[in-house]
Amino acid sequence: MAEKIDLQEIEVWDGNYAAAQAMRQAQIDVVAAYPITPSTPIVEGYANFMADGYIDGEFVMVESEHAAMSGCVGAAAAGGRVATATSSQGFALMVEVLYQASGMRLPIVLNVANRALAAPLNVRGDHSDMYLGRDSGWVQIDAFNAQEVYDMNLCAFRVGEHHDIRLPVMVHQDGFVTSHTAQNVRPLSDDDAYKFIGEYKPMDELLDFSRPVTHGAQTEEDWHFEHKARQHKALMDARPVIESVFAEFEKVSGRKYKRVESYMIEDAEVIIVALGSTVESARLAAQQLRDEEGIKAGVVGPRVIRPFPFDAIRDALENCKAIGAMDRSCPGGALGMLFNEVSAAVYTTAKRPLVTNYIYGLGGRDLAIVDIKAIFRELKANADAGKITTQIQQFIGLRGPKLAFFETREGK
Amino acid sequence: MSNVLSNEKRGMRELGAEKKVGWNEVTHGVVLHSFEDDAADIALRKAEDRKYSEFSSYTATVASWRVIKPVYNRDICIDCQNCWVWCPDSSIISRDKQILGIDYDHCKGCGVCVEVCPTNPKSLLMFGEALSSDDAIAQWPVKEKKEK
Amino acid sequence: MVEIRWHSRAGQGAVTGAKGLGDVVSTTGKQVQAFALYGSAKRGAAMQAYNRIDDEQIINHEKFMLPDFVLVIDPALAFTDNITDNDKSTTKYIVTTHLSKDELVAQIPALQDKKDRVFVLDCMQISLDTIGRAVPNAPMLGAFVKISGMFELDYFLDRMKKVLSKFPQKIIDSNMQAITRAYNEVK
Repeated sequence: MAEKIDLQEIEVWDGNYAAAQAMRQAQIDVVAAYPITPSTPIVEGYANFMADGYIDGEFVMVESEHAAMSGCVGAAAAGGRVATATSSQGFALMVEVLYQASGMRLPIVLNVANRALAAPLNVRGDHSDMYLGRDSGWVQIDAFNAQEVYDMNLCAFRVGEHHDIRLPVMVHQDGFVTSHTAQNVRPLSDDDAYKFIGEYKPMDELLDFSRPVTHGAQTEEDWHFEHKARQHKALMDARPVIESVFAEFEKVSGRKYKRVESYMIEDAEVIIVALGSTVESARLAAQQLRDEEGIKAGVVGPRVIRPFPFDAIRDALENCKAIGAMDRSCPGGALGMLFNEVSAAVYTTAKRPLVTNYIYGLGGRDLAIVDIKAIFRELKANADAGKITTQIQQFIGLRGPKLAFFETREGK
Repeated sequence: MSNVLSNEKRGMRELGAEKKVGWNEVTHGVVLHSFEDDAADIALRKAEDRKYSEFSSYTATVASWRVIKPVYNRDICIDCQNCWVWCPDSSIISRDKQILGIDYDHCKGCGVCVEVCPTNPKSLLMFGEALSSDDAIAQWPVKEKKEK
Repeated sequence: MVEIRWHSRAGQGAVTGAKGLGDVVSTTGKQVQAFALYGSAKRGAAMQAYNRIDDEQIINHEKFMLPDFVLVIDPALAFTDNITDNDKSTTKYIVTTHLSKDELVAQIPALQDKKDRVFVLDCMQISLDTIGRAVPNAPMLGAFVKISGMFELDYFLDRMKKVLSKFPQKIIDSNMQAITRAYNEVK
C-alpha cells in the first residue's frame, strides 16, 4: 500500500508539480511517458513519488510520445486508471493515437503544458498544441493557474471515467507561465482527493477473462459513421456530467468552476474571450479600466474547450456590444479558432455583438496588461461606433509594419 | 459429439448481412464481446458448448463465398493435423487429435488443406460445390505408385 | 503588491531562491508568485527570475514588471545586465560583489543617482565559506530579509528550515549560517 503525504493547507506549487501531486493522489495504475519541455516535471515528479513509495503503479518508459500514448491506450483498454503528460512536438507525435483513445472510448488523462509548435523551434508557451487537439474527440479542460491545474486534474478523472462518457480528457495549462510559475495552492488531503475521484470502475476491460472483448475493431463505410456519431454524442453529453462533477468538487473544495468562466459580464459593453493565464491577466486589465476609465469591460474564459460550450458562451456574450476573441496560436491562413467558434455562437443571438480577432503571444511572447487594455479600448470604440472600426484580424505585440486582415462589410 | 458438425449456433447469419442498426444502438467504442455468458472457463469448453455472441464470426457464415469445396476422406487420413494447423479460417474440426471433418459454414474453399495433406492419395480433395460428399468419395483416386 | 526581479546565471539557484522565498511568504498568509524566464538556457547563461507578493490572489501573468527589489546574485551581471530596467524611484538593489558599495557604484553609471538604494554583500564568498559551493541564492535571501524588513530573521530561518527539510541536516545548517551571515553583512 502506498504511503501518504501530509500536505500543508497552503502549498506553493507550480502547475507541473500541482499536476504531479494530483496524479499521485489519483493512484494511477499506469503512466507511460516520454518527457518533453515544459511538461517534463509532471512525469518526473510522478516518477519520484513512485520511487519514494507514494504510488502503487507502473511507470512505463517508452521510445516516443507515439509509444507513450499507445502504452496508455493499451493499459486503459486492459482496465487501468491511466494518465500521462506532454507538450508541443510530443503532443503532435501523439496525435494519431489521440484519435484511437477517443474512438475506443478510453478514459485517459493527458496533462498538456501548452507550448509552441516548431518550426522555428521554441520551447515556450502558446496554444498551438492545444488547438491541434481540438478535433481529436477528447474532452479538453483549460486551467488558468496552478491551483486550477490541480483541481482540474481531480475533476478530469471523474469526467472521463464516468460510465456514460468514457472519453479521454486533456488538462491544459500554459507552458512556463503556469507550468513553471509557483503560486499558492490549496490541495485536498490525500484521503479527500481519492474519495472525490473514487475507486476506478473498469468497463469492458481486456483483463476480465470472464468476458473476452475485442477493442479496436475495423469499421468501413457501413458502420463507421454510426460509431463516430455515437462518440460525438458522448462528448456532447459530457457537458452536464462536467457540470455535476464541478458541483461535487465545490462541495469538497469550496472552489466553484463552470464550463465557461465569466468575470464582470453582467453590465459589460466590451468582453475579451481568451484561454489560459490570459484570462486572469485580462481580468486585471478589465478591473483597472473600469476603475481608471469607466470602460465596462468583462472577461470570458472557456474552462472547457471541448465539448465546445456553444450554449454557455452564447449566454455569456449575447448582451455585450463588442467582443475581442484572442487566439494564441498562429491561425495558419484563417481567422483564429476562438474567433470562429465564438462568432458562430453569437451569430445565433438576436443582437449579434461585433467580434474581432487578436493573435498574440506566439512562442511565449509576453502579453502585458497595457496590451490588453489597448484591446479593450478598441473594443469600446467598436461598441460606440456600432461597427468594427479596425481590421477584423490583428496581431498584438508583433514587431514590424502593422499586420491585419479583412474589413467589415457592415454598412452601418 | 453428435452436434459438433451441425452446431445450430454456428453460421446462423450471412457475414455482412447483419441488421444495420443506428448510431444509438451500436456498441460504444466498437467494443465487441465474444461470448454471451461468463467465459472464465472458456478454454475448457468445446466450440459447440460456447455461447458465441452475434459479434463473433463463429455465428456468421461465409459458405456462399465458396465455389469449390474440400471433401474429407476418413479412410485415408492419418490424423496428422496438418490441415487443422494450416486452415486460415479454423474450419477443420478436430477433437482429441482426431479429424472429424469440415466446418462448411466457415470454409471459403481456399484449398490450403488439400495442399498440405501428406497422404497418398490425399485425404482432402477439392470438388465442385454441387457434388455431394458421397459422390466425391466414390470417385476418390487410388494410391499413386512412385516411378523408379 | 511587492515585485522582485532576480538577475542570475542559470544554475546559481535564482529559481530555487524565488520559490523558497515564495514558500516562506505563503506561510504568512500572503499570496505569492515565483517564476523565471528560462527553458532551453544553458547553465551559466544570464536569466531572470521573478516574485510577486500580494494580499490578494495574484492574477497578473505578464512578465513585465516594475520591480520594488532587484536582487543581483551574480557579480558580473551588475555590469552586463540592464539591472535598472523598468525601475521606480523607490526600487532597492541588492548586489553581490567583492567590491565596496562606493567602488561598485562608481563603475556602474546607471546606479550613480540611486546610491542610497543600493546595498551590497559578497554572496559568493559567504556561500563558499558556509555551504562550500558558489550558490549565492541562500545568502541573497538573508540580505533580502534584512533590507526588505519583511520578516524577523528568526521567523525566516525557522520557516526556511521547513522548506529545506528534505535535505540532510548538514545542508540545512550551512544554509542557515549563510542566511544569517548575509543578514548581518549586507550594507
